[in-house]
Amino acid sequence: MEKLSEVKEGKYKVIDIIKHGKLKKLYNMGIFIGDIIEVIKSSPGPIIIKKGNITIGIGYGIAIDILVEKVD
Amino acid sequence: MEEKIIAIAGNPNTGKTTIFNSLTETRQQVGNWPGVTVEKKEGYYIYKGIKFNLIDLPGTYTLTGESEDQKIAIDFLTQNKVDVLVIVANALQLERSLYFLILLSELQKNIIVDLNMVDLAEGEGIEYDIEHLEKLLKVKFVKTIGNKNIGIEDLKEEIYKKCKEPISEYFKFNYGDEIEKAINESGNIIEKLNPPYPVRFFALKILEKDEYFINYLRDRTDYETINNLILNLEKNYSKPIERVLIEKRYGVIHGVVKEATIEKKKELKLHITEKFDKILTDNFLGPLIFLIIMFIIFNFVFLFGNPFVNFLELILDKLKFVFLSINLPLWLTSLINDGIISGVGSVLLFIPNIFLFFFLFSILEDTGYMARAAIVADRLMHKIGLHGKSAIPMILGFGCNVPAIMGTRILENRRDKILTSFSTPFMSCSARLPVYLLFTGIFFRENQGIIVFSLYLLGIFVGILSIKIFGSIFFKGGSSPLIIELPPFRMPYWKSVLIESWIRTKSFLRKAGTIIFLGTLILWFLSYFPNPNNYGTELNFIGKIGKFISPLFRFSGFDFWQAGIALIFGIYAKELVVGTFGTVFGIENLQDTIRNYFTPISAYSFMIMSLLYMPCLATFLVLKKEIGIRWAFASLFWSLFVGWLFSTIFYQFFSFLKGG
Repeated sequence: MEKLSEVKEGKYKVIDIIKHGKLKKLYNMGIFIGDIIEVIKSSPGPIIIKKGNITIGIGYGIAIDILVEKVD
Repeated sequence: MEEKIIAIAGNPNTGKTTIFNSLTETRQQVGNWPGVTVEKKEGYYIYKGIKFNLIDLPGTYTLTGESEDQKIAIDFLTQNKVDVLVIVANALQLERSLYFLILLSELQKNIIVDLNMVDLAEGEGIEYDIEHLEKLLKVKFVKTIGNKNIGIEDLKEEIYKKCKEPISEYFKFNYGDEIEKAINESGNIIEKLNPPYPVRFFALKILEKDEYFINYLRDRTDYETINNLILNLEKNYSKPIERVLIEKRYGVIHGVVKEATIEKKKELKLHITEKFDKILTDNFLGPLIFLIIMFIIFNFVFLFGNPFVNFLELILDKLKFVFLSINLPLWLTSLINDGIISGVGSVLLFIPNIFLFFFLFSILEDTGYMARAAIVADRLMHKIGLHGKSAIPMILGFGCNVPAIMGTRILENRRDKILTSFSTPFMSCSARLPVYLLFTGIFFRENQGIIVFSLYLLGIFVGILSIKIFGSIFFKGGSSPLIIELPPFRMPYWKSVLIESWIRTKSFLRKAGTIIFLGTLILWFLSYFPNPNNYGTELNFIGKIGKFISPLFRFSGFDFWQAGIALIFGIYAKELVVGTFGTVFGIENLQDTIRNYFTPISAYSFMIMSLLYMPCLATFLVLKKEIGIRWAFASLFWSLFVGWLFSTIFYQFFSFLKGG
């Protein structure tokens, strides 16, 4: 399990979103725990993830609280 | 004429603005929602003899009382008679739009879903069985392609029909026995308070732990009973109940969308968006492209705008000439020419640039580049204490502060919007350039470029300083971390872009025009009386004021009344600083006279003052409009203060160095 802020480009599964406020934000934008996401751009700078037709830019301060796991 | 009220809601990036523009065209007004900095757009159209008044609600993903713009949407929908609520949905992201629909359904309105961008979805091989969606969700669906103006007439017809119907059955989401029971039980308590919101909606907000609604409850009744209900539920589900609610909603939506999707043969899909995103936000290429685009915008706004500005100037001059040649009383000629035409004209001259600026701004937004730019700028802006989106208005401030501050509307967060607007006036706009050119041309001929550049840097420095100081005093906590949706790249709809630019330019004109006119009259009066023959000199009130304030600049090196008047006129517009020196020193020997009054050190000190204090009346008015009168005055006084402080420090320091 890694932090989204640390991972390289590739496919990942969202394992947990730690802070509650951040979880709410991501849920409202349509990203859930258990989702498979694709990291299009990794840190430094905001991370860009994609799920289906939704692409979201996430600042480091939020990405640090998103735990993900690599999928192949 | 019969009138109906139609509210338009939707997630960001659903093409809501385009739909709104297509329906209302130029019959629009932009203002602010009372008491807040959130923009309010209204418009109307007439269809089959009925006037439909449209209200554009802020674009949001959810509906909570905790955020300013969402609270506005909730209040508007619950406290007004809304005949039809149109929810603009993005066919590419139908699930999220339907989620929003479920939230809004609880407000028990007559709803139509405008399924927009169906062409993009079809391009991805997705089509929806509309009838099936309508049956499952009990709302009317209309397909549109906003940026091609397709389906707009259907939408008008459906809105018309819906107005004729009484509220039909609305979709009531079932959260399962256990939660429904909790909703009912808390509903019973809430009902007794007689709140201005539907009881079930209120109860759901409480379960979602919406701070606003919880506080509302706490102030009026015992919250503990309901809180225990929630705690019990959470024990059973072993996770926060608001998460359960969201998951349940999405669970159902997921099923609905799956059932209603007609998968077609997928066209060969090229991941163009992804490729573009990688390049546009690349750590090296991203900033480069960003700078190139900013450079292009700059040149476009000013190179293309300036011929129009010059043309307007010519017309104003001709107009002055006309008034000179017809034999009006002298005072009236002066009032018209020196006062009204010069003053109001100084605002009119902004129009070409403002229009072009908004034109390009809308294109950047419509194509989807704006969101990428925010990503690129985020790292740097974060160090300053703002997030990426703030960079765009601030950079454009180097061109003209007025549209730049209007551009802060892309920031949702109140703190970011205020701090960005507040610091933008320190970005040295093009109107300050004539002042620099005059003085550097006289005193710093050899290193004109470096001197001018140093002033730009000083402006940026003071801007950042202001953010740091005011941010830490007035706003707790730092900037909210960036989270921004990157919409798919698409072609802008030119008609909508033009409407958008025109409406904004018009709103600037109307607001600024009236107040500038008043300001003009006052300044003219002060310049003209009591000695009409000596307009704008020390013999008149304005000169006396100039004399009165000049001691303030004793330690800055320019404590003579001519500088005082120039600075006062500079509040109108910074170009007038140069013009005023022309008037009071005389045009013929301007350079020599200035050399008699200024030294290189006091000249630089005067440029610092010109750079830092309120750029123009129009900026002040826009600040008032965007972030409120208190912040506008705060900005005025703060800018006067830092201008004075920095010019004084500079003058004293270098005079000391030279003397020592």
